[in-house]
Amino acid sequence: MSSAPALSAPALSVPGLSVEELSWGHPLPGSGWRQLFSGFSLSCPPGQFLVVIGSNGSGKSTLLNLVAGTLRHSAGRIHLGGRPLHRLRDHQRACWIGRVMQNPLEGTCPGLTVAENLRLAERRNRPARFAAGFLISAFGGIHPNGGDRRRYRELLGELGLPLADRLDEPVGQLSGGQRQSLSLVMATLGSPDLLLLDEHTAALDPRAEATVMALTDRLVRQLGTTALMVTHSLEQALSHGDRLVMLHEGGLIGDWNAAEREHLDPAALRSMYGAAIVAPQSSSAPDGSSAS
Amino acid sequence: MFSLWIGAYDQGLAYAGLALGTYLTLRVLNFPDLTVDGSFALGGGTAAVLISQGAPVPVALGLAILFGCLAGTVTGLIHTRLGVNDLFAGILTTTGLYSITLRLMGRSNIPLSETPAGILALPDLGLGLDGQWAVGLTLATLGMILLISFLLATDFGLSLRALGNNPTMARANGINQRRGLTVGIAAANGLVALAGALVATYQGFADVTMGIGSLILGLGMVIIGESVLRPRSLPWALLAVSVGAILFRTMIAIALQLGLEPVDLKLATALLLLIALAFGRLRIPGLSADQGRQEQ
Repeated sequence: MSSAPALSAPALSVPGLSVEELSWGHPLPGSGWRQLFSGFSLSCPPGQFLVVIGSNGSGKSTLLNLVAGTLRHSAGRIHLGGRPLHRLRDHQRACWIGRVMQNPLEGTCPGLTVAENLRLAERRNRPARFAAGFLISAFGGIHPNGGDRRRYRELLGELGLPLADRLDEPVGQLSGGQRQSLSLVMATLGSPDLLLLDEHTAALDPRAEATVMALTDRLVRQLGTTALMVTHSLEQALSHGDRLVMLHEGGLIGDWNAAEREHLDPAALRSMYGAAIVAPQSSSAPDGSSAS
Repeated sequence: MFSLWIGAYDQGLAYAGLALGTYLTLRVLNFPDLTVDGSFALGGGTAAVLISQGAPVPVALGLAILFGCLAGTVTGLIHTRLGVNDLFAGILTTTGLYSITLRLMGRSNIPLSETPAGILALPDLGLGLDGQWAVGLTLATLGMILLISFLLATDFGLSLRALGNNPTMARANGINQRRGLTVGIAAANGLVALAGALVATYQGFADVTMGIGSLILGLGMVIIGESVLRPRSLPWALLAVSVGAILFRTMIAIALQLGLEPVDLKLATALLLLIALAFGRLRIPGLSADQGRQEQ
């Protein structure tokens, strides 16, 4: 067990997330086929907090799933820090990518305690790659020991989460907001190169949403990690992150950096949701990204 | 009358491995494993064959565990590699194991006339042979509980618990679901096979049909143990299901004492379990209606 701080910034000298010429489709009921992404490209510099919006079926969550590796693309390349993400094993991908799910129940193990969940997330950074290493690491530590508890308590206390004194409570007993906060801390433990946030406040009440978003901003800034957040909340889209992109039917129809976003009219943005989309005034791609 | 209780205690502890194995698959891994019906008989048959041919009892028990683990591995691989439904994977293995056990035993029943020397060397607590068995089986059960508690407290054990609790989250955290599930099912069936071997050694014979209804027996033991002791931590849960095994055998002893025909035992057990399921007192993955894979 490393005694290093649980949260520290990753090296930023490498390129961030790069999606090039991505293609992906899925069969429709019957014999049809829907090609959602076709030659889709998007780049995200290291440390950038990218917010993705779009109507249902626009491909937001699919994009996240493709980057996370839970879906496999048929063509194209996805690189993180210059390294190809496809064909990675689960434990390798878990070292690089932290993910917070939409449902608070999905991102944690409700039957395990808070400390056990944190321990589980922490073990991502010491996965076994070979049989011998598997045996050594498998039985390598009793969890969670006194040292772990102390670190977790410090970490949660430092983040201002009221979970520091509830380390031995099953996560199933926590509120949705607390679970999502824990899930966020777990996703950022070990400082992944990429943080994926999949509508992670959609199931929360406004107060819990504000708490989780404040924690999100803080962790992303503190770690300097590249972050990709999918949301349906225009309020979040206009007030969080460094850059905002809008998807429609697998294509990038809007791309605004923080300064450009300041001038966006929420009503106009809202009107862009739906089928009849006219490309906005700012369809050029800041930060070197390109629309498909 | 006292011999009835001590006999039930001994039998309960001989079956403790079955209860622990069932707990591991159903409660820890969230996997309804029907392999136990086959691996219980396989363990009993293996031990009986080896002991009857003069092999030391520890060797016989060790090989029974190994064969049980192999049976569990087969089920795990069928499920994780071939994508076969969990219940069906267990049924397939159990069906095959019947022939394998029969081949191994050479006949359907093997008697064991001698009590193991290791048991005879133990103190009898003034209770004779039953007391010696009680000491031996208590030590064996405590050893199993300690070992499982230790293993489940390691990183690997935590991974297994996470897999049973939330497979999606476990995978997102880099846990290899195929490997974890296969190893977990193998370990559980190793315990069940050990129980089969201990039961065969204790009762003095092994029968190829001795595993029929083992899953139901194991479930009954788990339910009783959890209901009576209501454990709040894993080591206590393991102790509770072991106590459940003793209580279950005690209830059977009482039922027999009250005049229940031995042929009706499995029917009575099944009815009890059905009542528990019907009234929602028991949630078993894959067996209860409206029960998802995730614990809510």
